[in-house]
Amino acid sequence: MTLDYGVYIAVSIFIITYIFIISEKINRTAIALFGASLLIGLKVISQEYAFDAIDFNTIGLLIGMMIMVSIIKKTGIFQYVAIKAAKKTKGDPFKIILTLFLITAISSALLDNVTTVLLIVPVTLVITETLKTNPLPFLIPEILASNIGGTATLIGDPPNIMIGSATNLGFMDFALNLGPIVIIILGTTLIIFKFLYGKSITVDQNLKDKLMTFDESKSIKDYSLLKKSLFVLGLTMIGFILHQYIHLESATVALIGASLLLIISKKDPEDILLEVEWSTIFFFAGLFVLVGGLEKVGIIEHLASGVLDLTKGDLMLTTLMILWVSALASAFIDNIPFVATMIPLIKSIGAMSAISIGPLWWALALGACLGGNGSLVGASANVIVAGFLQKTDNKLSFINFLKIGFPIMILSVILSSVYLVLFYI
Amino acid sequence: MRRFMMAEATKHDTVFSQLGADVHVINSLLCYITFDIEGTEISYVYNINKKDKYFLQRIEPYPEPAGTFNSEDELIDTIKIDIEQFKNAKNSNVFNDFVKINKCLSETIRNFEDLYLYYNVPHETIDNIKDKLDSIQQIIKNTKTSCKKIYEKKDPDTI
Repeated sequence: MTLDYGVYIAVSIFIITYIFIISEKINRTAIALFGASLLIGLKVISQEYAFDAIDFNTIGLLIGMMIMVSIIKKTGIFQYVAIKAAKKTKGDPFKIILTLFLITAISSALLDNVTTVLLIVPVTLVITETLKTNPLPFLIPEILASNIGGTATLIGDPPNIMIGSATNLGFMDFALNLGPIVIIILGTTLIIFKFLYGKSITVDQNLKDKLMTFDESKSIKDYSLLKKSLFVLGLTMIGFILHQYIHLESATVALIGASLLLIISKKDPEDILLEVEWSTIFFFAGLFVLVGGLEKVGIIEHLASGVLDLTKGDLMLTTLMILWVSALASAFIDNIPFVATMIPLIKSIGAMSAISIGPLWWALALGACLGGNGSLVGASANVIVAGFLQKTDNKLSFINFLKIGFPIMILSVILSSVYLVLFYI
Repeated sequence: MRRFMMAEATKHDTVFSQLGADVHVINSLLCYITFDIEGTEISYVYNINKKDKYFLQRIEPYPEPAGTFNSEDELIDTIKIDIEQFKNAKNSNVFNDFVKINKCLSETIRNFEDLYLYYNVPHETIDNIKDKLDSIQQIIKNTKTSCKKIYEKKDPDTI
């Protein structure tokens, strides 16, 4: 690495941008785009290099899934499933917690976490208001389930999308390698919630009876759209399972599904595209350029060499270090910029040493996704639920979430450490 | 912010669907228009949507639904005329009383609604209120015929 002015500028812009993202003093998308364009404006990187640095597979996959979810949610299927599940429990509070926990985990594995909680949480609040019970014992498990469930698949959480896109790891690689440990963590977390809430929540029978009068079929807005949506979602899932074998990028699969659903649903694309989270998309683009700048000036290689010096090239030590650092960092800072920086770092470790970097990707995915449960600011899903509850009488405080989320996060990372050491090292 | 709004819409959708409603959530722009006429705030709210229907409501100096319009020309003309009339009315030395009476009428409508919905109101009381309203209506009609018209660009909508 030559210490020319480009290095200082790239590092300074990156650190200042990171500080603003963490402190939330300036909107994260605005500052990421500003930092990225400054890198180009100050000629640290060229515009062509910046565009090349943007991972359009990640961007395409995110946009494709956002379009599909925007259409699917209009069918009311999520409300239907949640109400149906709550009624199956006959209004038993812990059984409702259990079923909504599992629904959230499964949905988060197939859709992104934020979307899942945005759809499940409002229905949960209607259920808890009907049962006249505190919603927090229902919502905290849902938040944790969304972050744990999202860890299991390529499309479940943005860090996995980024990792999958930067490597040749496909949907089935994620499902087969992360699925087993995610199931173990989900089971363990459920046992903890059984101890925490199993006997403590009681509901009057007349309120349970009121819940039983809910008619889930009233939630379905459009049966024809529901059939079309489930058909296309099914096809897309098959596409994800097969994409590695038919040599298609995951973004291609998502965009084919999204555009097909846009055509057959006959929904106005203008309305649907309005619901795509463009702010998140541009945030990703800005970050990719910022990290591309660090790569260009050689900082990433320098950091990778530092990591190797520290771990002496030992696979177990490197894997565990990535897992724990990712988890603890993701508990308190946005995991997207963290993962965006870690990806080229791990690639450099692979290029500079004889280490097999396969386990490092799983360590990064597990750490970044599960770490989100460590605090209220650890993941977008947590922030969204807390923000939504601000308007209600049952606010979710940082400390209240930390008391439950942090120990469960630590436990899940311990289980992940054992899993990685046993099966990958 | 939009995420919270969408989550809130999902909650409302669930609640009202369970009550038997047919819920449609549409994208629209909500416009707040405020004029300051010599220290008196005159404000309106309406929304712009793809269905080309404008629901206009005056919110200051007293709340009053102004109707549904099928074109933006109708909507803009209505606000223009309203403002012209308020500018005119502001010159009157009974303008403050006019505003007070309108506020009182709006409040009376709410009071009567609460009375009827929360209590078993006797028939005689309803008749009594009706008689009082008829007499107010009669005062308005009589005054209309005996007073000089001061706004000529448009005829009144209701009298």
